[in-house]
Amino acid sequence: MSNNPTVSAVEWFKSAAGLTISLAVIAALAATIDRGPYILVNTVVTGGMLSLVAMGLALVFGVMNIPMFAHGEYFMIGTLVAYYVFTPMNGYIDQHTGTLAAALLPLVAIIVAGLAGGVMGVLTEKLVFSNLRKRSRENWVMNSFLLTVGLSVVLINLHQLIFGTEFKGIVGYWRGAPLSIMDVFISRDRCMAFVLAAVMVTAFWLFMTYTRTGRAIRAVSQDETGALIVGIDLNGILLLTMSMSCALAAFAGASLLFMYPSYPSVGLEPLYMAWFVVILAGLGNVLGAVVGAFIVALLKVLTVEYIGSGWEFVVPSVLIIIILIFKPSGIFGSEVRGILDK
Amino acid sequence: MLLEVKKIDAGYGFLQILRKVSLEIDKGEYVCLVGPNGAGKSTTLKTIAGLIKPMAGEILFEGHPITGLPGNKVARRGISYVSEEMNLFVNMTVQENLYMGAYTVRDKKLQKERLDFVYNLFPRLAERRGQLAGTMSGGERKMLAIGRGMMSSPTLMLVDEPSFGLAPQLTETVFDSLEILRNSGVTIMLVEQNVTKTLEVTDRGYVLENGRIQLAGKSSDLASDPHVRKVFLGV
Repeated sequence: MSNNPTVSAVEWFKSAAGLTISLAVIAALAATIDRGPYILVNTVVTGGMLSLVAMGLALVFGVMNIPMFAHGEYFMIGTLVAYYVFTPMNGYIDQHTGTLAAALLPLVAIIVAGLAGGVMGVLTEKLVFSNLRKRSRENWVMNSFLLTVGLSVVLINLHQLIFGTEFKGIVGYWRGAPLSIMDVFISRDRCMAFVLAAVMVTAFWLFMTYTRTGRAIRAVSQDETGALIVGIDLNGILLLTMSMSCALAAFAGASLLFMYPSYPSVGLEPLYMAWFVVILAGLGNVLGAVVGAFIVALLKVLTVEYIGSGWEFVVPSVLIIIILIFKPSGIFGSEVRGILDK
Repeated sequence: MLLEVKKIDAGYGFLQILRKVSLEIDKGEYVCLVGPNGAGKSTTLKTIAGLIKPMAGEILFEGHPITGLPGNKVARRGISYVSEEMNLFVNMTVQENLYMGAYTVRDKKLQKERLDFVYNLFPRLAERRGQLAGTMSGGERKMLAIGRGMMSSPTLMLVDEPSFGLAPQLTETVFDSLEILRNSGVTIMLVEQNVTKTLEVTDRGYVLENGRIQLAGKSSDLASDPHVRKVFLGV
């Protein structure tokens, strides 16, 4: 609590968050000098999308107190919807490369997929969680956790039953030569994936900080009873939160369809990665999740680069175990305690 | 009658706490509800505020039934509840907390007016406007909770144990601020452990024991009632 900027800057560097971020930046720069700028580019593109999934996860945990293990399935729904919306347009885009329509149609597919995720979120809250909430709020975290696991199994198998197990993928959204950034060639799809993620994160942040509804969501996450007392429609906020977070996951899935073809369990990898992020950043910390996403992405890129691609889950897992032992509230855990600590 | 509570039964789960509790509050009155620990005072307030659904009975506010309405709808009708736990938004600053109190007020100018009113009443809050609510002391939190409750210009304020855990000096400040509020025309229903002080400042009181209203009357009469003196004042 110091007003002196230099002192608070030094304090920040000494904190767990400051140390981790500084270390991550140094590691990223060192690896970039050692192996080339593509490390940085890969980290930024992977981190951007991961932050969308992780943000939704953090939001659902922070506001609704649900440890969501079905979040990957909304990512899967995103890929699926985007596939079925985009494939019919593919022929048209091939014939009209370079036109405005060819540039906008993929966006349409991605946005439709995001909206579909939002609708699924509404259904999930209405059919599953609001019913549990009406019945009993005892042991809420455990019960809702079990429900999400069940939901995940149901959604994966529904996909398999209706759409089959084959890979439903596309070659790419945007045609044309890859762009060259810092002497690295990245496909237009990857660039767009990052741009879209950046736009969504910014929009989301503005929404949470400056709008009345955003403030109400933050209020609910900090004290549900307090929110009711001041006249916030609790059920409405919970519904909106679930819907938004599912929409974010579906949006991420749709933007990454060119990398992750749609199949029943496509959501598992982003789910695990997002959980790594959320545990690293501190449960329920939405802005921390954005920073955490880039750190986990860096970790993943570095592991693949220096150790081998079979290890990309091992290293983050070890890190998570270490964090849970030494700093269970996450590296961005604040002095104000969270819901679970009460 | 501003508020009429008619024979409500309420409790948590299978545990019934209130048994046929009835009470009435007129506009502009300063009414207290006193009673020993576990008598159901907080439960009564929570039931009126819509945080607990009554099992039976009826609650009328300004002549309209509000029985079983969720807390946010009750708040919109003009009932502001200041809970014992305060339920502040710990990660928001003092000023953000106060503005959240005016969540139902959409008029920016009116919000600012209310904010100035609260800052006038509690200059301490004005000094600390940028501080996170979660890092404040107990007394300051109490002030903030009361201030937040006033932001929506409520017709009726339900205040639960404002002096609980406060130093004597701060207790005075809290009682003084309730007095100012009352003089500005707000109806107040106060639940308190500090029976002597409460009966001094309020107009009328109800005595709750084991979930039932045992006594009701003018505060001055209650203060001299032999039963009250024996049970609460220890004389």
